[in-house]
Amino acid sequence: MSATGITYYDRPVLKEPVWIWTVPAYIFVGGVAGAAMTLGLAVELIGGSRLRAFDERCRWIGAVGGGIGSALLIADLGRKSRFFAMLRVLRPSSPMSIGSWVLATATPLSAGSALLTLQRDGVLRAAGQLAGASAGILGMPLATYTAVLLGNSAVPLWLITRNTMPLLFGASSAASLGSVFDLMRLNREEQSIATRFQLVGRVAELAAAEAVERQACSNERVGRPLREGVSGAIWQAAKVLNVASLVLTIMPGNSKMRRRIAGVCGILGGIAVRFAIFHAGKASTRDPRATFEQQR
Amino acid sequence: MPTGFFTDTTLCIGCKACEVACKQWNQLPSDGYNFTGMSYDNTVQLDASTWRHVAFVERPAPVSEQPVNSFSWLMLSDVCKHCNRAGCLENCPTGAIIRTEFDSVFVQPDICNGCGYCVVGCPFGVIDRNPTDGLAWKCTLCYDRQKAHMEPACAKACPTDSIQFGEIADLRTKAAARIEQLHGQGVSAAYLYGADEASQPGTEGLNAFFLLVDRPETYNLPPNPVAPAKRAGPSWASMAVTSLGLLAAAFGAVASVRGGRR
Repeated sequence: MSATGITYYDRPVLKEPVWIWTVPAYIFVGGVAGAAMTLGLAVELIGGSRLRAFDERCRWIGAVGGGIGSALLIADLGRKSRFFAMLRVLRPSSPMSIGSWVLATATPLSAGSALLTLQRDGVLRAAGQLAGASAGILGMPLATYTAVLLGNSAVPLWLITRNTMPLLFGASSAASLGSVFDLMRLNREEQSIATRFQLVGRVAELAAAEAVERQACSNERVGRPLREGVSGAIWQAAKVLNVASLVLTIMPGNSKMRRRIAGVCGILGGIAVRFAIFHAGKASTRDPRATFEQQR
Repeated sequence: MPTGFFTDTTLCIGCKACEVACKQWNQLPSDGYNFTGMSYDNTVQLDASTWRHVAFVERPAPVSEQPVNSFSWLMLSDVCKHCNRAGCLENCPTGAIIRTEFDSVFVQPDICNGCGYCVVGCPFGVIDRNPTDGLAWKCTLCYDRQKAHMEPACAKACPTDSIQFGEIADLRTKAAARIEQLHGQGVSAAYLYGADEASQPGTEGLNAFFLLVDRPETYNLPPNPVAPAKRAGPSWASMAVTSLGLLAAAFGAVASVRGGRR
């Protein structure tokens, strides 16, 4: 028998992650919220007074996304009533601990800034702008830490892609935020900003997805779930949806309907990226050979 | 004083007394009467309510160079390894998982909120979330018994001393002597798994280490387990670069549109 062929009655070595669908859903929603906070920071600092409404919209997306994201995470806990234990300590070795603090800080800051900047001027408005800027800084890790969280594990597929996944999640967050804007009524200037932000994100997302797949498939056994089965199908669907969204966005002309369809494709593509990575990771833990071959 | 287990698999007779003693002392529920059809192993794995698991390997090869038989039984009583760099502990966001005064890794059930991050952090697939109460559970190295100066239930019940409990330094000495003895008897394949940092840098050594006579994979042990946080550095760096890229894209998008308008 070959060295890598040995298993214990084909039983998995690792435990399959116990997380449910709310976790990849959170990775998407939290990513969009984080990207919105960061875009809000740029709009606040260099956007000028004409873009105030857009700034506010970014903050609301950040606050609502952070709120929904928190609810999705709590829904996954084994003991939901103890969600507050997440803020009991700050553990630098745990990306989940750091992420909990980021989420729990950025969300109220974003909501606070949206409320306070309703004031035209004065101390409260200044405080709101400061809160918005702080949320904008925290939005960057919020959109990307989830990739470090997954990679910081024994799950073969997440482990092998831990260096490219942050790029995928960050880029996908920017692209998905742009798609969310595609479903909103924006003025011309706001729409150009959203579209440019989206395009940069989408191109980076497609490139990062390629990098993730290559890294995963550098070990045939580990990368298999991205090519086969349900997770492989979701991964392919994600690529098709994202390419479709990109093509629809860069097509010349100004059709509202086309913009809406591009938005829906982009959002579904962003969600599919997270679910594909999530389920492919789960599948890789069920295969003892993936675990062994990665370590030999 | 660090204490732990030295599990000598060459002495294991597969009686499962350790499994029973563990279940009884820790008041863990039954796994049900399941018949797996794979050897004598109907326990299958360590999980939230099974903290000792005897693996049975039927191997079509002799255990030593003595050509008396072309078949050998390998049995291993598996348990939480209480790693010196413990993936579960480092991943735990609530501080529920702690290192005790005995150097063991212990989950505080009154703090755990069942986030499940320890489950993916363990490179051995030991710790698990109990679907009934939603909390993470694993071997405590009989923290309560140790507090009362008693040895863990499994070691106490083991009739062949395959499971030895004691201070880590003593166990290492005993284990080294046992290896020498086995090598002298012709069991040249005998080696220690996870006895120290040098042989298993990924975990920096196990407080529950093993004497094996075949590849780790044979017993469903990972050949090179690593605590995830040990190699998370580049991942954090990649996140930092991506974050800055996100910021640049945001400013670039706003600036390019604003600039075009002027």
